[in-house]
Amino acid sequence: MSRSLLRRTLPLSALAAGLALGQSALATGTPGAPVTRIAVTMTGKDGGTCVLDHDSAPAGPVTFVVTNRSAPAISEMELLSDNRILGEKENLAPGLPPVRFTVTLDGGEYQIYCPNAAQDTIAFSVSGHIAQRAQGTTADLLEEGTKGYAHYVDGMVDAMVTGSKVLQAKIDAGDLAGAQTEYAKVRPFYERIESDVEGFTLPGSDPTDNAGNLDYLIDMRASNLDPAVGWHGFHAIERDLFQRGEITDDTKALAAELTTNATTLQHLSAELRYRPEDLANGAASLIEEVQSGKISGEEEAYAHIDLVDFAANIEGAQQAFAFLSPGMKQIDPDLTQRVDARFGAVKAMLETYRDPQSLGGYARYTASLRASDARKLSHTIQALQEPLSQIAEKVATAG
Amino acid sequence: MTPTKPENQVTLSRRGLFLGAAAGAAAGTALPARAAPPDVSASADPMQTRHLFYGSGPQAGVATLPQKHAMVMTFDLTTQDARELQTLLARWSAAIGVLMEGAPVGQVEPARASAVALDTGEALDLGPAALSVTIGLGPRVFGPELGLAGHRPAKLRDLAPLPSDNLRPEFTGGDLSLQACAEDPQVVYHAVRVLTRIAKRTGAATVRWTQMGFGRASAGKGQVTPRNLLGFRDGTRNIREPDEFDAHVWSREGPAWQHGGTYQVLRKIEMGIENWDTDRVDDQNAVFGRHKASGAPLGGHHEFDTPDFTAQGADGAPVIAEDAHIRLVAYEHNEGTRILRRSYNYTSGLNAVGRLEAGLMFISYQNDPAHFEKLQRKLGAGDALNEYISHVGSALFWVPPAAPEGSYIGAPLFE
Repeated sequence: MSRSLLRRTLPLSALAAGLALGQSALATGTPGAPVTRIAVTMTGKDGGTCVLDHDSAPAGPVTFVVTNRSAPAISEMELLSDNRILGEKENLAPGLPPVRFTVTLDGGEYQIYCPNAAQDTIAFSVSGHIAQRAQGTTADLLEEGTKGYAHYVDGMVDAMVTGSKVLQAKIDAGDLAGAQTEYAKVRPFYERIESDVEGFTLPGSDPTDNAGNLDYLIDMRASNLDPAVGWHGFHAIERDLFQRGEITDDTKALAAELTTNATTLQHLSAELRYRPEDLANGAASLIEEVQSGKISGEEEAYAHIDLVDFAANIEGAQQAFAFLSPGMKQIDPDLTQRVDARFGAVKAMLETYRDPQSLGGYARYTASLRASDARKLSHTIQALQEPLSQIAEKVATAG
Repeated sequence: MTPTKPENQVTLSRRGLFLGAAAGAAAGTALPARAAPPDVSASADPMQTRHLFYGSGPQAGVATLPQKHAMVMTFDLTTQDARELQTLLARWSAAIGVLMEGAPVGQVEPARASAVALDTGEALDLGPAALSVTIGLGPRVFGPELGLAGHRPAKLRDLAPLPSDNLRPEFTGGDLSLQACAEDPQVVYHAVRVLTRIAKRTGAATVRWTQMGFGRASAGKGQVTPRNLLGFRDGTRNIREPDEFDAHVWSREGPAWQHGGTYQVLRKIEMGIENWDTDRVDDQNAVFGRHKASGAPLGGHHEFDTPDFTAQGADGAPVIAEDAHIRLVAYEHNEGTRILRRSYNYTSGLNAVGRLEAGLMFISYQNDPAHFEKLQRKLGAGDALNEYISHVGSALFWVPPAAPEGSYIGAPLFE
């Protein structure tokens, strides 16, 4: 997966000022008014119509009061500047009370975007200028987040390299119990960030050949093996340690190879630069991993530490989301809060599986535990997956 | 196969739909709880037939003529915040309004590359297909958590345990229900799938159990009585006339806004197909009390002949046996108790022991769940059919009246 190294140009025309409600709202268009109020109303006319009571406002804080009176086809509304989202409201539906958001707007041309309306884009202009910017734009906040997240990934990869070396040492010493313990310790570092690093190939290799695919070499499960390349990495070691229960020369070779590949990954990932949507998509991919590999019990078929990986996937996704949150709160505090609450629900559920006696600190994910609990685990994840899937579009187009 | 569109279906523009909806709503204002939802366009092409979501009477999907296919899904609340339920009901209502027009819920292929489409696309261009989606609210909606207990409909509670109940948790209960019915199974599935995504997006609910049904197993007015998977006509004596709906289906209890509501019973009834199929025909007829092919009551000649429950054979035994299905459930023997049956046949492949897994997704509507209990208490205890069926799933919901345009199902709960 190649990452764009290009930085986004930051629009300077607007800055979002959070959700300060228009407590001092005055009549629209009054010069010098601290907050201008604009009513955005959706009706069923022509299959869905979005109208503003005023199409312009003076520079400064502007509160949009959004009411869907009778337009079932319209469920959201955005304020755009040059195709960047400055603020939005979703979950609009006929009959719900009005909702509002406030942004501070500098002079310029803006658009009100109501997807599915007969005329979905309405021009909105702002005259005059606002004083010095008080804080960074949403895009600034998101960019800060991507830098913070890059440090987080670097830290995880460093820890994975260290953990791989410890695992290798235990294996070289023929210490089966010690190696099993270290296996469970090092797994989470990869699982927290796997969606960011899974696209790497070894320098000079054919991208379609698994022999040069680092993720294949590090994390391939028995269910997806390529006979031409054979089994390498964590799960081949897992088989030796937990199914065969013995350390052979092959195990030692696998452990040495894992350390080498982890170190290669460390060098490659240090070059990664992220766009905000990469964090959102990465978080979504980690949640997909939970659904596809952990809840099914396929990931750790021999060690049964699937819940350890599950928790690590969630931690990684939550980290990515947390780095987006300051910017996301500017764009859509409701959605941010909803995703946050769902992460909270997943973590609270995971807490119930804590078991200090078990390898990795979580209950062994046995066939019987899977039979009784997989449904609950999957439902709780699905409740996070849907709202989380909406984040990428918001941050990719944030102004 | 692209059916040719008759001229009159050009009216299926958005404008036409909304004009039609407004006219329908106006027509229904006289007696809210009496009128069945009118068909806007009963087209010759069933895929272009459209039912109204918005109105001032009951929701669509109860008195609506049973469509060919159905899917029910029940949901568990995942919130204790009534506002999240409010958002869900409003978004469900708006989306159902759009789906029943045959339109997608938003863009199937959004213009923005990073966007995740809400509508999953598989029903695009299939037409409205006579879709109806009916929302039900379970007992826990009115429990202490959400603060809505003051609005609890008069008769809403959990169903009582009933004789022969063999209920399995994976097919039982739920806090919300959706019943989607249409002439095309993909339209049905699409509606439930998209509405499920909305439930998760709002954070209010997640899926509990579901059953897809094919082949309506109940008739409405003017429809030929269909057959269940036991090969018998089902629902010959079903409720069909408006005055029967008034007497037995629509509730007039509680505050005025609840009038026109009704109670929805879901029962997943598994059939022992292999044993039934090898049962001799006179026993099958005796179990039901009807002739298999004609549907006539035993001793009668035509399907709609009134059963003669007093007739005796040469041996002195009743022609319609004491434990025959139609005898036990006949309203003459139940103080006039009648319920609207709106069931669907279902199959889910093979079961764990290699038998055909199939049966009846029984759906009934009545103005008091005790009416269902009264009948099922009797059937569960003594029905000859019990040898071949088992009630494995169950749930009860209150179905609020329809919402007028500009509002949503259940809106008065939050005012």
